[in-house]
Amino acid sequence: MTMDRRTVLGFGGAAVAGVALAPGMTLIAAPSPDKTEASGDQRWAMLIDVNKCETNCTACTKACRQENNVPLFGDANRDIHWIRKLEIRDKEHKRPSVSLPVLCNHCENPPCAHVCPTEATFIRKDGIVLVDKHRCIGCRYCILACPYKARSLVYKKTSFPEGGNPNVPIRAKGVVEKCNFCVHLVDEGKEPACVQACNGEEGNKAMVFGDLNDPKSEISTIIREVKTQTIRADLGLKPHVHYKGL
Amino acid sequence: MRSLQSHPVRFTLLLALVWASVLVLSHQVMASGSSGHAAEAHSHSDYTGGPPELEKAKGEACIRPTDWMRRNHMDFLKHRRGQTVREGLRIRSESLLKCSECHQSHEKFCDQCHNYVGVAPNCFECHIYPK
Amino acid sequence: MLSNFTAIEGRSFGYWRLVIFFGVLVLIGAGSFVAVEVHGHGITGMNNQIVWGVPHVFAISLLVMASGALNLGSMSTVFAVKQFKQFGRFSAFLAIALLIGGLAVLMLDLGRPDRLLLTMMHMNFRSMFTLNVFLYSGFIILCFLYLWSMFEYHQFTKVIGSAAFMWRVILTTGTGSIFGVLHAREVFHSAITAPTFVALSLSSGTAISILLLVTTFKQTKRDLEDKVVFGLRNALIFFILLVAYLLVVEKFTKYYSPAFYDVQGWILTGPYSSLYIFGVWGAAIIIPLAILFHPSKGNSVSGVMWASLFSIIGTFSIVAHLLLAGQAYPLNMFPGYEVSSAFMDGVTATYSPAAVEYMLGFGGIGIAGIIYLLGIKFFRMLPDKAVAPEGYELPWNP
Ligand code: SF4
Ligand code: SF4
Repeated sequence: MTMDRRTVLGFGGAAVAGVALAPGMTLIAAPSPDKTEASGDQRWAMLIDVNKCETNCTACTKACRQENNVPLFGDANRDIHWIRKLEIRDKEHKRPSVSLPVLCNHCENPPCAHVCPTEATFIRKDGIVLVDKHRCIGCRYCILACPYKARSLVYKKTSFPEGGNPNVPIRAKGVVEKCNFCVHLVDEGKEPACVQACNGEEGNKAMVFGDLNDPKSEISTIIREVKTQTIRADLGLKPHVHYKGL
Repeated sequence: MRSLQSHPVRFTLLLALVWASVLVLSHQVMASGSSGHAAEAHSHSDYTGGPPELEKAKGEACIRPTDWMRRNHMDFLKHRRGQTVREGLRIRSESLLKCSECHQSHEKFCDQCHNYVGVAPNCFECHIYPK
Repeated sequence: MLSNFTAIEGRSFGYWRLVIFFGVLVLIGAGSFVAVEVHGHGITGMNNQIVWGVPHVFAISLLVMASGALNLGSMSTVFAVKQFKQFGRFSAFLAIALLIGGLAVLMLDLGRPDRLLLTMMHMNFRSMFTLNVFLYSGFIILCFLYLWSMFEYHQFTKVIGSAAFMWRVILTTGTGSIFGVLHAREVFHSAITAPTFVALSLSSGTAISILLLVTTFKQTKRDLEDKVVFGLRNALIFFILLVAYLLVVEKFTKYYSPAFYDVQGWILTGPYSSLYIFGVWGAAIIIPLAILFHPSKGNSVSGVMWASLFSIIGTFSIVAHLLLAGQAYPLNMFPGYEVSSAFMDGVTATYSPAAVEYMLGFGGIGIAGIIYLLGIKFFRMLPDKAVAPEGYELPWNP
């Protein structure tokens, strides 16, 4: 892992993590200008505090589906989940289970982008891994390559869901998709929908989103001072979704 | 083994058959692949063969001269599409979502011309043209 | 000893019946392609756990066999095994036919085949797929050159044949690496997956050559000396043993590390265990070897053909097991923990292939078959009679 792992406060460092952004609070101080572009100066990342995440809470997953018109086909094998809640439990069932959301980790070494023949999957300058749906040929190699099950193929035609979000397109069949860190919101200087929801009324304030390249950002501060982990760090993909208390 | 006389004619016929079926099939694929939306729009458009009547735009002026837009809007959109997706370039005053502020109806504006010249862009299979 | 090469007459009822049979397969394949195009992959059995289904099994198996089909040519050109020289043209041509069949399935199963040209416009050289695009097209070109040199410019045969041989080893390594390089998939992530594919291509390529040679020679009433077939049989035995060896080494290594106990146990007991036991070990290894080593069956042409048939079924099984079991086994995101979610985490994926998927796969076989049939009719691919060189004795018989 790249980050500094000094654990100053030990396991109880929640005091630092407890600071939560107000929903919809802007990440960039200035109001967004007419023209913006992704830049390498930023490195967007997310931090999830597993201790705060509750088993029955689905605020993040609901918000994601609403914001991004993520299609459901009524077939559990083909429904698309950009973010999902996972229950994990030790095999001997000696300890209580832990609940946490899993989404695309926006890896720094993303195997999905490495295997994509057309560079439809690529890393944007600010570290967000995106699928260019205009270019994806639907070979599905990336789905095989991603260790986190973050990707799905659109199996059927989709239609605009009732009460959907007109700012986000619906899907063409035969193309692969996954979480995009709500890139359209991030470019507006807002936080991803899941983070907003988690910090809203329904959520448990377990998620923080921010810029790792900015040493003063909240996420950088926490990662500097509290022990955090990523899922399957042994694979060397350098995920940018960090977990605290895993 | 029984040996039937075979003629080059028969072989040519077979080839022609294969060729024709490939042609028909691929045509069907193209038709269903890209133009479902256009065909739909076609059925309730009401032009009668002359040059299409476009709905008058609201607003003062387009973001580019009308002549230029007529010829280049597709390249413009496509170019921006790549830049927006891949480089995160967002020019808010020139975003696709802005078009609809002046050209309020997709059917009465965009589709008119597209149907007239018989092009079927599939952008709007996914992108929602705000009403 | 080299006899003349002639095209087959191709006028008999049987010939046209075969052409029509494969033609119908092609049409069936085309029909299923159109159906999937129109309705989306929703009408297949694939889902978001198993995204590569039966069409990929057919495609990869055909590709593996294609590179193996070049075997006879390579054995004669590169390793100077004289009695196979007469099959050089046949083998190079068969390789092209099978490769085109396999590639067609692979392409037609894309989610957006209409965007195929994009792979030519934007290439990602880190992707095994892009590398394979070059390997496959290079292979087809080399096979054509090889054929051409065997027809007209014999002085180049050695050089081009050697190049084609090297290329085909790299090509199959590339095919195997599509799977071998994926770290997160415990069933097939292994450096030995690619060599296993090479061995598999050798055995299945030899098997398909035996089947086609014997049937073609018989149907066209040409002479095929048994000794030649038995020479191929000895090669087949060696190649099957090679496959078995690599499979064993892989299992052995994995059983040595406790981290793999779970997945190895699952392979033997999970839903794909019968495919593994009867398909991978039964059809690909044990049955053909038992037939080939049998004192009477191993010494009869029909026995060798049966063994070849099983070897080919086994090849499909090995590819199917690797692909389907490999995807069905849940990703191990939290080693040592059980996981569950609404997105099928931690559960073995289920997959029941739909008819369209088989139809697409058969379409690929149809394409390969048609190309082969038309090729031997219009070009001088096959020798009038195939005999072993003077004084040639088989080194070994069962
Ligand atoms: S989590 Fe999966 S989809 Fe996301 S960047 Fe990493 S490999 Fe790609
Ligand atoms: S399915 Fe699309 S995004 Fe995934 S590897 Fe293929 S082309 Fe790239």
